[in-house]
Formats: sequence, structure tokens, C-alpha cells
Amino acid sequence: MTTLHPDKITADRLAGRARPATESMHDPVIGDGTLIDDPGVRPPLVLNGRTFGEVTDIVCGYAENAPPRWWLPAFMTAFGIAQLGGLFILYLVITGIGTWGLNNQVDWAWDITNFVFWIGIGHAGTLISAILCLFKQKWRTAINRSAEAMTIFAVICAATFPGIHIGRQWAAWMLFPIPNANQIWPNFRSPLLWDVFAVSTYATVSLLFWYMGMIPDLATLRDRADLRLRKMASGPILLPIVPVRVDAIRAYVYGFLSLGWRFSARHWHRYEVAYLVLAGISTPLVLSVHSIVSFDFATSIVPGWHTTIFPPYFVAGAIFGGFAMVLLLLIPARALYKNFADFVTLRHIENMAKIVLLTGMMVGFAYAMEFFIAWYGGNKFELDVFLQNRAQGPYAWAYWTMISCNVISPQIFWSKKMRTSTIAVFVVAFLVTIGMWFERFVIIVTSLHRAYLPGEWHMFWPTPVDIMIFVGSFGTFLTLFLLFMKFLPVFAISELKAVLPQASPHWDGYGHGHGHGHGHSNHDHSHANHANKEAH
Amino acid sequence: MAGLFPKWFNAFPTVSALAAVGGLTTVVAGFTYFATPKFWRVGYMPKQPGGGFNHQIHAGKLGMDCRYCHTKIEESAEANIPNVATCYGCHAEGRLALFTAPEGVLHREKTEFIRTAFAQDKSIEWRRVHKTPDYVRNFPHHVHVNAGVSCYSCHGQITTMETVYQAEPQSMGWCLDCHRGVKTEPEKYLVPKDKVTQLQWVQTEWLADSEKHKAEGRKLLETLKEAPPENCGACHY
Repeated sequence: MTTLHPDKITADRLAGRARPATESMHDPVIGDGTLIDDPGVRPPLVLNGRTFGEVTDIVCGYAENAPPRWWLPAFMTAFGIAQLGGLFILYLVITGIGTWGLNNQVDWAWDITNFVFWIGIGHAGTLISAILCLFKQKWRTAINRSAEAMTIFAVICAATFPGIHIGRQWAAWMLFPIPNANQIWPNFRSPLLWDVFAVSTYATVSLLFWYMGMIPDLATLRDRADLRLRKMASGPILLPIVPVRVDAIRAYVYGFLSLGWRFSARHWHRYEVAYLVLAGISTPLVLSVHSIVSFDFATSIVPGWHTTIFPPYFVAGAIFGGFAMVLLLLIPARALYKNFADFVTLRHIENMAKIVLLTGMMVGFAYAMEFFIAWYGGNKFELDVFLQNRAQGPYAWAYWTMISCNVISPQIFWSKKMRTSTIAVFVVAFLVTIGMWFERFVIIVTSLHRAYLPGEWHMFWPTPVDIMIFVGSFGTFLTLFLLFMKFLPVFAISELKAVLPQASPHWDGYGHGHGHGHGHSNHDHSHANHANKEAH
Repeated sequence: MAGLFPKWFNAFPTVSALAAVGGLTTVVAGFTYFATPKFWRVGYMPKQPGGGFNHQIHAGKLGMDCRYCHTKIEESAEANIPNVATCYGCHAEGRLALFTAPEGVLHREKTEFIRTAFAQDKSIEWRRVHKTPDYVRNFPHHVHVNAGVSCYSCHGQITTMETVYQAEPQSMGWCLDCHRGVKTEPEKYLVPKDKVTQLQWVQTEWLADSEKHKAEGRKLLETLKEAPPENCGACHY
């Protein structure tokens, strides 16, 4: 194995400085990796004829080598923003909820908007890992690891907001049923409590899914570090004053996390079963978590919230916003890491764009239905909230921002050209993220700010504390994601290998060439491959 | 890879899972047991200024009524602490026969702080024993006393305390025990209104044998103007 960063190797090859990887293996039929109109030809999920060994080398290489030059500044910026957000949270805890722009009428605003926004983001990861797994959508393998990581980081960001919005943060333990001298007990009839259980179940299952899927890859990282320790007399050390080899730390940390995985057939068998079980558990969570989040509003009798369409509408919106966030993360990663585009191909981008188009129209339908039912239901207060207040009231700009971003902007995805243009997809994903944040803002604030009596009408405007805590949550999210990109396997190595053309029992090379991959078809011995390669 | 971790390390996942479950159980159980007024507050007995006020002598041996000093409990939310003049009413120089008795010297010394304070027109800074948190707005003594809740129910057997201490937890759960329990077992929580301050009688005659007073208790409950509230706004507003 090499000590060069995988991107460096690719760059060298492109510049002709290094041996081309597997020149003879380029598939003659693929173009850019998007779907081809001929149904008999299906473009491979991994481009550039990557071999088993290369997949391992690239994915592990990201974790094993110094990060690219942009990484540290990006990380420091994100971490700084996260710290700044933390300082504002500290100020909020010390001073109180009055530092937010809340008032008597609008007692929920950005706090719950941000909570629902972040929780929704996570749903794409669960959908990719659970539902697409059960439906055997093999294209998920390139994006499931990072989407699951995104899910967990989004849930962490989401959990901050209900935690701090309670005002007396030290009483947060009251969310849980703990016997206490005050005989205060959670109200099991309240959807806010269901929310606590739904979100904590969701966080636990997502974390298990993500971690369990990573165990074989962590074991690969462990074995590679261990091999270097044994084979090489010296290697990079942690710090000049701490002469511990980085590989020793890697071997023990990855070794600890890989729970004694030895790539035995029995391990793989149990892994597959456990993976399927977790996919089965996660599948209802995709639907239930955001349904319960929507109950926070739908079970109340506030006009604008009291709507039976909320659960399916929220779930569609969550998947919509979540896929937009996956695209927002993966498109830049594809540009910044040279090998990413071999795994996250245009076919993947196009598939996700199609989901964005579909779910975007589902939320568009829900927006229309809200108006229809407000009129058809004959409740003048409800009609007033939708027709007078949302569409024409003082927050109409927010409402129409939401409609343009969520319903209109994805319509360009009817064109294949747009679906396969990373810039267009990135722009739409960005707009959708803005639109989905505004959707929650519109639902929450425009339903609250004008009650039945004009004397109760108040506007909500955010304060710097509102804004900085929200911005800080993006810092936290990016900090965690950048750490993930550096230290953990960003793709599921074994699953990627399974979708390589060489993995097919009928594969006999791309016409010419002589099946370079055959000798290496067993990932159990991936490190042995690398040992061979070094000899080249 | 062989050799990275010793063999006994295989037990780590099991042990850490058990430790996590055990730790969580310990934390919750510890919180439930220790983080309570029952643990921290019951028995609180601050040292009072001067010679103190001996409830065992005044309310017990001499049989003085609570309302002689705590005059406003029937009309005010606040159970007032008497001013110096109330003490001085009896403990003025030469007022009590005890001053001439053989033990009078000791008594004179122990009550000197009252006369000093009275002469200097200063308050005696009694230390507060029972205190509700600030988010409990003004526990209404008059409502409870007039409903027939004896002093004994919340303050214990004051007539035997040389120095007053907190006898009951006075936690919210403890309040609710009564507010809920009185609806099914009123005889355990209510006494006839003229007996509210008769602490010895309440303990030995009424509560010791509450089974006998079921019918009376039921009648007492029926005379209440409203059912004891259990809603949050009753106390927190």
C-alpha cells in the first residue's frame, strides 16, 4: 500500500506521471455513468474500471493520509462557527429565552423551526440505508455511508434545539420518566413526549445502523495499520515529543471499534442478517419519526396546524429536504476529492434528482391541499390563516419563497440535461434547503402570530441570538461531517466491491484484457493485495 | 490480527454493556432517592438567636395555642412570626412569677435577649425553618387551616420540639399525596375545624385511630368549598 493520498495518485495518473491504473479495463459502453436509453445496457455503478484492491486503497487512503489542503481551513472555519454558536447557547442559558425574538403570541419560532428542519434532513439517510436496502437498490452503496453519517449529525443538531428551548435547561431531565420527589411525570398523552421517544429511538437505530455497517471497513483500516506496523521499521509519529507511531494509534482505535471482526464467513453471515434486521427496524422509522414531529402541530387546535394531511406531508418534506442536503454534501465532495466521481457517478446524482422532483411535487400537492381543505372545510379561521395570512399577510414573502424553492425550482429536473448537470442539481438542492427551512418557519410562525383577536397580533423577528445559534448548528454539522470525511471510511468498501462488474460470477473481463480482478475477488485478503502491489 | 488486544479483552463489550445498564440504573435510582427534600430537608434544625424559642415548653407543657403567637394563620396566606412585643408581653421584667422561683436565674438569662431587643426597638432575627421554593406562590395557610388541615399534618408534632425542625419533606409529591388522598381518605388529612391547632389531640385521638372517623371525615370533606386542586396553576402562577 502507498503512503500517497488517493487523490494524488489519481492526479499523477491523469498527468501521465504514474502508471495508468487499469487501462485495459475501461468499459467501452459507459459514457458519463448516467442511464442509457437502451434497457439492455446498464452503466456500472463504479466507473473507470476500479479493481477490488483500488476500492480498498482509495477508501482507506482517505482515512490514512494527510487530508487535502482545503480540509484544515474548512474544518477550522466550521469548528469556529460551531464554537461561536456554542457561546450564544451559553449566553442563552445564562440570560434566558427572552434573548430570542419570541413574544406572547409567537412562543415557538426559530427553535422549533430549526429542530424540524434538522430532523427532516436526517430522513434521507434512513431512507437510503433502510428502504433502498430492502428494495435492493444497489446504487445506494456509494452514498449510504455518508448519508447515514449526515443523518446522525443532523439529529445531533436537531436535538440541541428542544434541549435549549425549554428555558430552564437544567430541568431537561423532566423529559424522561424518572421517579422524583415532585411526582412530575411526562404526559403520555402529549405528542411532545412521543417526540422525545421517536427522536431518541431514531438516533439510536441510525447510530447502530451506521456503526454496524462500518465494522468490516474499520477492521480493514485496522489490518492495514497493523500490517504497516509489522512490515515497516518506521512510520509517521504523532508528535516529536510523543514518539508513538500513528499506525499504532490507528491499529488500536480502529481495532477497538471493529469489535474483533476477522472477516470470517460466520461474521459475514451474521453481519448480513443483522443488517437486514436493522433495515427492517429503520423502515417504519422513516415514516414514523416525522409523522410524530408533525403531531406536535397537528394534534393542537390552532388553525393552520390542525390538519390531517400533516404526517404524510411532513414525511415527504423530510425526504425532500434530506436528499437536497445529501446532494449539497456530495456534489462538493465529488469536486474536491478526485476519486469520488468514480463512485458517486452522475447516475447517482440523477437518481437523487428524480427523488427530489418526486417529493417536491408531493409537498406541492400538500400545499395545494391545505388551501383546498381550508376552503372546502368551511372553517373561516382556517381559511383566513391560509388565504389571508400566509399567502397575502405580512409573512407572504416567506410563503412565496417556500413555494418558489420547493415547488417551482425542482421542476427543471424534468430535463435530463439538468438532472445530470452537477451545477444545476447543486443550485436546486441549495434552493430546496432554503425552501424547506422556510416551510417550517411558515407553518410555525404564521399560524401563531395572528390569533383570533387583532389585539393579540404580533410579528416575530429573530434576534442575533436566534440567528447565531442556527448558524452555529451548521458549524457543528459541518465539523462533524469533515471529521467523518477524514477519519472514517466514507464508502462501504465491501458493498462497493459487490457492485463492481468483477464481482459478477459471469464476468469475464471487458472483452479484451484478462480479468485482472479475478485473483483478488475476496475482500478478506484485501491487505494481501496491497502487499502484492507494493512489490510492483 | 492476533496480538493487538489480549484475550480477556473479549469480555469488554459485555462488561461495558452491563456497566452502562448498571450505571444508568444507579443514576436513576440515586436521583430518585437522594435528590429529594425527604433526604436533604427533613431534620433541618437551624440554631435560633438568643435562647431560642422552646415550643416544647410553650406549646406543649404550658398548652399555649399556636394562634397566640402566629396570629394571622386564619386570615392570611402568611403564617406570621410574632414580633418582639408578643414575647415581651409575658417576658417583661417582673411579669412572670417564674422570675422569683429558684430556677428563675436561668430563665432570666435565657430570655434576656427579648428585653434587650425590646429596649433597643430591634427585631429578633428568627431563622426560617420551612421554606417553599420561589416558584410556589404564597402557600395559603388560611385556606388550609380553615379547611381543617391541622398544623400537625405539615409541621409534625411541634409541641414536643425544643428547637423546631422540619418534620415533613414538603416536596411537591408530598403535597399531591394529600391533595389526591383526601378525596378517598379524608379522615387521614382533615380534622374538625376547632381542633386544627390541638396537635396532641390530633396525633393521639384522631389520626392514631383514623378508621373510626371515616364518617366524620367524609362530612368534613363535604364541607369544603372546593375540591383540593391538582392543576399546575393552583400553586404555580
